[in-house]
Amino acid sequence: MTSIVPEAADLGTDVEVHAGFPNAAADAPQGTLSLDQLLIPSPHSTYLFRIRGHHWENVGVFDGDIAVVDRALTPRHGDAVIGWSENGELIMKRWREPGEVQPWGVIVATVHHMRHP
Amino acid sequence: MTTRFALIDCNNFFASCERLFRPDLLNRPVIVLSSNDGCAVARSNEAKELGIKMGEPLHELKRRFCVVDGTTMKPFMHSLLPQVVAFSANFELYGEISRRVAATLARITPRLELYSIDEAFLDISKVDIADPEAWGRALAAKIYREIGIPISVGIAPTKTLCKLAADHAKRHPECEGSQYIRIDPADIPVPSTGASDKQAGKWRLLSSEATKAPQEGQALLENWAKLLTPTPIQDIWGIGWRLAPRLRAEGIHTAMDLACMPPKRAQQVMGITGRRTVAELNGISCLPLSSHHKPQQVISRGRQFGHDTNDLDTVSAAVARMTNHACQALRREGRLAMRATIWLMTNRKKPGFTVTHYDVRFYTPTADTGYTAHQLLTMLRRSFDTRHAWHKTEVTLWDLVPDTGLQTDVFGAVNPAVYTHSTALMAAFDAVNRKHGKGTLHYAAEDISHAWYPRRAMQSPHYTSSWNELPLVKAL
Repeated sequence: MTSIVPEAADLGTDVEVHAGFPNAAADAPQGTLSLDQLLIPSPHSTYLFRIRGHHWENVGVFDGDIAVVDRALTPRHGDAVIGWSENGELIMKRWREPGEVQPWGVIVATVHHMRHP
Repeated sequence: MTTRFALIDCNNFFASCERLFRPDLLNRPVIVLSSNDGCAVARSNEAKELGIKMGEPLHELKRRFCVVDGTTMKPFMHSLLPQVVAFSANFELYGEISRRVAATLARITPRLELYSIDEAFLDISKVDIADPEAWGRALAAKIYREIGIPISVGIAPTKTLCKLAADHAKRHPECEGSQYIRIDPADIPVPSTGASDKQAGKWRLLSSEATKAPQEGQALLENWAKLLTPTPIQDIWGIGWRLAPRLRAEGIHTAMDLACMPPKRAQQVMGITGRRTVAELNGISCLPLSSHHKPQQVISRGRQFGHDTNDLDTVSAAVARMTNHACQALRREGRLAMRATIWLMTNRKKPGFTVTHYDVRFYTPTADTGYTAHQLLTMLRRSFDTRHAWHKTEVTLWDLVPDTGLQTDVFGAVNPAVYTHSTALMAAFDAVNRKHGKGTLHYAAEDISHAWYPRRAMQSPHYTSSWNELPLVKAL
């Protein structure tokens, strides 16, 4: 995932500087909002998954959505996590017992497209 | 100030990466194959226990085992032989996991050397660590939990000892991924010449009661000796299969023997690097972190074809792709090339092995992919040899000069306008590929034919680099 607005420097174009009224915004905090910053505070431990199946639609998770999964988080009661079934398939489920084995990772967010690109 | 290094070594790296999104493969033998699915280049512990060797060809494995395609889990041939799960190499995935490990390590200290895709040295001399072995265990646990692959950590005053320590940790599960060798060079008496003295020296230091802190000193030495004594010399970093026989002729069979070798003799037998290895084994650091990048003298990019071919279009497309990769590397280095060569090779293992090459000189040094590819392909088309089935191609860029002061050629024919245009075009080309992924922009010549692509029939999905290939999770 990348930031939405391409940076001029990346495209190899020169940024023009105009003399005139000083740009007050130049001193304001820098940067464009990025979804990475919001959803992926820990990039090295975060992986993305594609969700398959309709069982979670009542809580707003649909077939084809993307799950943002952080392995570094300690699961808490009620968290949506990725675990695995007996035949080794990765499954999305609720974390219930603290005695359970460490899940594959904790789902921190899902991304649902309202309109596909 | 004593030095302290840590080596972080990812266990069976490629096989571990293949398991990351495949819990069904835990505890099963997994192998990863080389280019064109030729031979095993990575093996899980279970595969090692079955006796599968590094570099063992796939066709031989198929005779001894029931080889299963890791992507479909279908066996090549049904049989009652033990099952082995095989994958084609997936470097997009391995590179991403390697970057994640490196990013984690870089937060410990910026003094970091990425030695290979699965190994990194840290200089932790100035990092405040009370119990190095516990620190290593915690690091191994953290990387397994957060990134998902097992590692071994070797901590010691020298890089050579770090290698030994990490190997030991890897082979002994009770180490929980971490081994620390602490040795103070002052504790080790300088061995005198002569084999009998050497033996005496070794035992004297082990049973010494006269060291400064007898209790602690002795325990440390015992730990050091425990690791060095059973290690055969060919397992020592820097002692390859070429040096090992020469050392055995000297009566040196183990790391301990080598550590006790008189430095002068070591230099006579192995040169200055051998003398350094002996010092390093004794806890005297001679090999600093080499994170500074050495400028390349030659840049080369090559690939084996999926099938041997004498088709000009197929070879041209591969040459165009390799030229593009080599020129990109050239620009990253900030250099220009004055010479480029195409190499074509037939299969080394088949009779009539042939190598041929096509050479181009540039009167104006260049890093322009389009120009270089055009020159090379023109040359190739003019004299392509269709009598051989080519197995592999390589594109080499030579006579590199820095791209700052551009030297004019003997004819003074550098056209500044052309040069400026080329630089701007390549900068834009690289910027687009950096932002949108390697290969987004490429030259049409690369697309004449895809018939040369290496066979990667059993490649796992690009889990981390393609939106269409994300790992799937079932909503239950």
